[in-house]
Amino acid sequence: MSQLVASSSVTRGTLLTMLPFASALAIAGLGQTLVVMQGGIDLSIAGGLSLYVVIVTKYPAGVNGRLWPAIGIAVGAAIVAGLLNGFLIGRMRLNPIVATLGTNALLFGAVLWYSAGIPTTTTARLSKVGGGLWLGIPIPVYIAVVATAFVTVVVKLTAAGRRFEGVGANATSAFTAGIQVRRYAGGAYVWAQLLYCLAGIVHASIVNQPTAYEGNNYLLPSVAAVVLGGTSLLGGRGNLIATAVAALFLSQLDQFVLALGVSYASRTLVQAGALAVGVAIYTIDWRGIARRAFPRRAATLAPT
Amino acid sequence: MFQWRRGAMLMVALGCIAVMVSAASSSARTDAVPSWCGPKKITLGLTDGFGGNSWRLVTTASARDEAAKCPSVKSLSYADGQGNTQKAISDIQGMVAKGVNALVVFPDAGKAILPALTSAYKAGVVTVPYRVTPGGKAGVNYNVFVDTPFVNAGVDWGKWILQVLPKGGNVLMLSGPQGNSQGLEENKGLHRVLDPTHKYKFIGAQPFEVTNWDPSLTQKVLSADIAKYPKIDVIVSDFGPSLVGALPEFTKSGRTIPALATSDGNVLGCFWQKNHAKNPTFKLFTVSTQNDHARLAIDWAVALATGGKKPATTHFPALTFENSITGKPHPVECRPNLPGDIYLSAELPAAVQAKLVKK
Repeated sequence: MSQLVASSSVTRGTLLTMLPFASALAIAGLGQTLVVMQGGIDLSIAGGLSLYVVIVTKYPAGVNGRLWPAIGIAVGAAIVAGLLNGFLIGRMRLNPIVATLGTNALLFGAVLWYSAGIPTTTTARLSKVGGGLWLGIPIPVYIAVVATAFVTVVVKLTAAGRRFEGVGANATSAFTAGIQVRRYAGGAYVWAQLLYCLAGIVHASIVNQPTAYEGNNYLLPSVAAVVLGGTSLLGGRGNLIATAVAALFLSQLDQFVLALGVSYASRTLVQAGALAVGVAIYTIDWRGIARRAFPRRAATLAPT
Repeated sequence: MFQWRRGAMLMVALGCIAVMVSAASSSARTDAVPSWCGPKKITLGLTDGFGGNSWRLVTTASARDEAAKCPSVKSLSYADGQGNTQKAISDIQGMVAKGVNALVVFPDAGKAILPALTSAYKAGVVTVPYRVTPGGKAGVNYNVFVDTPFVNAGVDWGKWILQVLPKGGNVLMLSGPQGNSQGLEENKGLHRVLDPTHKYKFIGAQPFEVTNWDPSLTQKVLSADIAKYPKIDVIVSDFGPSLVGALPEFTKSGRTIPALATSDGNVLGCFWQKNHAKNPTFKLFTVSTQNDHARLAIDWAVALATGGKKPATTHFPALTFENSITGKPHPVECRPNLPGDIYLSAELPAAVQAKLVKK
């Protein structure tokens, strides 16, 4: 499709730019998928991702040696944020939208406190990861593939993962089966924050001088990737690989509308239209609509 | 009658002498005090629509530095609107309620701020908006608007392009959000210089590519344009440092970085020094990013409130800064041991800026 309408959107140079962004979005989307599988939604991705980007750029302040400690601090922060979300939603039974919105505000508070809103240039070592190629493919792609494979294997092939899916599908029956429902429901938020943290590190490595508010660029696309990937917002089974593919689709869509060379206003419209169509394919009950629109078969079955 | 007139002239002459003597003695007495600083003691307020980037930080620090030159300014309070128009308005109202005598405002939200400015002005506070036009009129809605002719930056870039690409070429312009007045004005200046030659073609979205001054969007936009246009001869951008992450896209596509007409920043200067040898087409020209614009606004506010001498102009000039070809007014500057997010064109010393940014 991209090749036909705007062939410049699939040249090597453009793909090399698009793929790292798609990888970061895919990783963030995995986190969001885990939460959505538990019937929740995580709005704190914006604040969380911004915070991790700020920590891995500001703490090292250009010194390569301080990169690992910075990543350690970011992971620590991610665990704290995830535990807070997990506690509020898993244990206190708060509505996920309200709870994660609150956590989001706290995380943005931390961003402003730590950085005063000022961007810092990424360290040379980190930007080598984001800008580097291995066998002609950007390194972030490998990171995203490994992350997707890892999360898929854990969720689909381990006993804990199966229980996790079970809790999301039907918490009551999982509870009667003796599964600690709260722990799984809350744990999803911790794993999600850890994945956002990884996405944040990847994002910081791609953008040389990230702003203090990079997470905002991930809030809606991460949810869109989950929905496009076919995971129901009501919870239950999640399709992690599909989320990653949807992230790729969304990023390519971004690049595609840029390559179309249309005005900024139409660019946004094209994006919204494509997204609506994509989501509609999965979520609308087309068979039901067809049945109601052409009720012939039903009529013949009706007793007369 | 004649005598009366003579007497009057004598009086005038004596008066003049008295004024001159007193002026001379006062200037001798307070040597370091600038002329815009009058004798009346005041408190000063400074509000920002959005304070969250290094440019704003250096600009605010420049404003504080300027106010500190005048001993009549007893205190300066600062409020950051954090990109929230509602907060920016209540910040202004808060300053008036606090009883500041003069208020300098960066009205990011433009006309939305005008009612707050007007009520501050009507409450008797010396009100000086600067840089972004809030609409309204001086003397009706505020005392004076200290602007800068963005069109001149476009003219300066255009003139440099004439020198560096005398045979013509493809020009790609990047600016912030869609329809921002700064970008539109700069674009006008650029067209004014380049159009009469009929040798330059403007490529990409018109009047400019929208980047929201966001580094990640800039990166995406630029890579789309690189793929689309096999020949980009010069890039014009009003936020140079945001290009540092995006320019390597040329190298990734196997092309050399083209000439760049933009605004200054330490990170950009250092990027040029590292890459220009490998990219012979990468020539750089910058205009000052104008952190010192805030100084002129402070001068005006303090002059009006303390009874000092008004500055000569309400326009802060567009100043050229670096030119990699002629080295005039400056060669490309880089301080590798200082942070990338400082602006060497500002009056505030680089080391002071570095401390601010690192804090």
